[in-house]
Amino acid sequence: MSVPANIDFDNLKPEEFERVLPDLFADGAGKVSQDPRLQKFLHANPDCAALVSDLETIAEHARSLFEPVGDPSDKVWKNIQSKLKEEAGDVGSEDGEEEEKPKN
Amino acid sequence: MNYEGQRMTEATPPKTNPGLFKRNPPIAGEAEAIEAAKNGDAEAFSRLYNLHKRRVYTLTLRMLGNVSEAEDMTQEAFLHLFRKIGSFRGESAFSTWLHRLTVNLVLMHLRKKGLNLVSLEETINPSDEDAPKRDFGTHDPVLTGSVDRVALERAVASLPPGYRMVFVLHDVEGFEHNEIAAMLECSTGNSKSQLHKARLRLRELLRQPSTQQDESPEIAK
Repeated sequence: MSVPANIDFDNLKPEEFERVLPDLFADGAGKVSQDPRLQKFLHANPDCAALVSDLETIAEHARSLFEPVGDPSDKVWKNIQSKLKEEAGDVGSEDGEEEEKPKN
Repeated sequence: MNYEGQRMTEATPPKTNPGLFKRNPPIAGEAEAIEAAKNGDAEAFSRLYNLHKRRVYTLTLRMLGNVSEAEDMTQEAFLHLFRKIGSFRGESAFSTWLHRLTVNLVLMHLRKKGLNLVSLEETINPSDEDAPKRDFGTHDPVLTGSVDRVALERAVASLPPGYRMVFVLHDVEGFEHNEIAAMLECSTGNSKSQLHKARLRLRELLRQPSTQQDESPEIAK
């Protein structure tokens, strides 16, 4: 699914714009707001321009959520060690210290 | 479908996803730790855990929106990693391999939680009542080019699971729609549609007063 080739961008209606917007976002090499085919339409339809601006803002800021939020609690590693020991013997604490934390 | 068997081995060569690779550069000492871990070296397991625990935990937290579940899935991801590390052949970045392993584990977890009674294609489509409103809103950009990260985290955590999954995989993690479609067993068009609806819903949520967002599910510490 991509933007239909027969779209008349010069006479685009908001309903049609709304319908093809997911594809415009998915297919566009750049920002939808900067798509030359849409400049006339967005200028004439500020509601649509505001929507595009907001959705682009959300998509841009989403990348910030990739950054790590922090470490899992210590119990996660303890549980992993415990389970691995159950399965395959003494893993993660060769000296027998079950509560050993992973080394950084 | 045996998702685990299909996804947990290193069958998939690196996809051409620049974003993902850019985010997964080689890590010093990782290759040695992997080889040692393959031989059962406990220290190496520990090193690999420390190298990747934050990324895995963050991913599970974003996908699940819940600290407790995220820790459980982090644990499961590393257990799977240690069990399957012998099948890692280095054809893709280790972090990419671990990332995909984690995504697939979370998806399996969600299916087990309740997505097993109907197809995922149906399940990732929230009900009509949940669907975002289709009005364009106000004339001015509501978000004024900026979004507070904490507000966005909360809004993402409060999304319906299907919306959240596609949003996190695409906008946060950098997967392409065709990759998401394969992972979620839906069409590419469905992935695009879900992403668009997710962003519309986030727009609505971010326009609401912060008191309403405070009722969202538990998220990051």
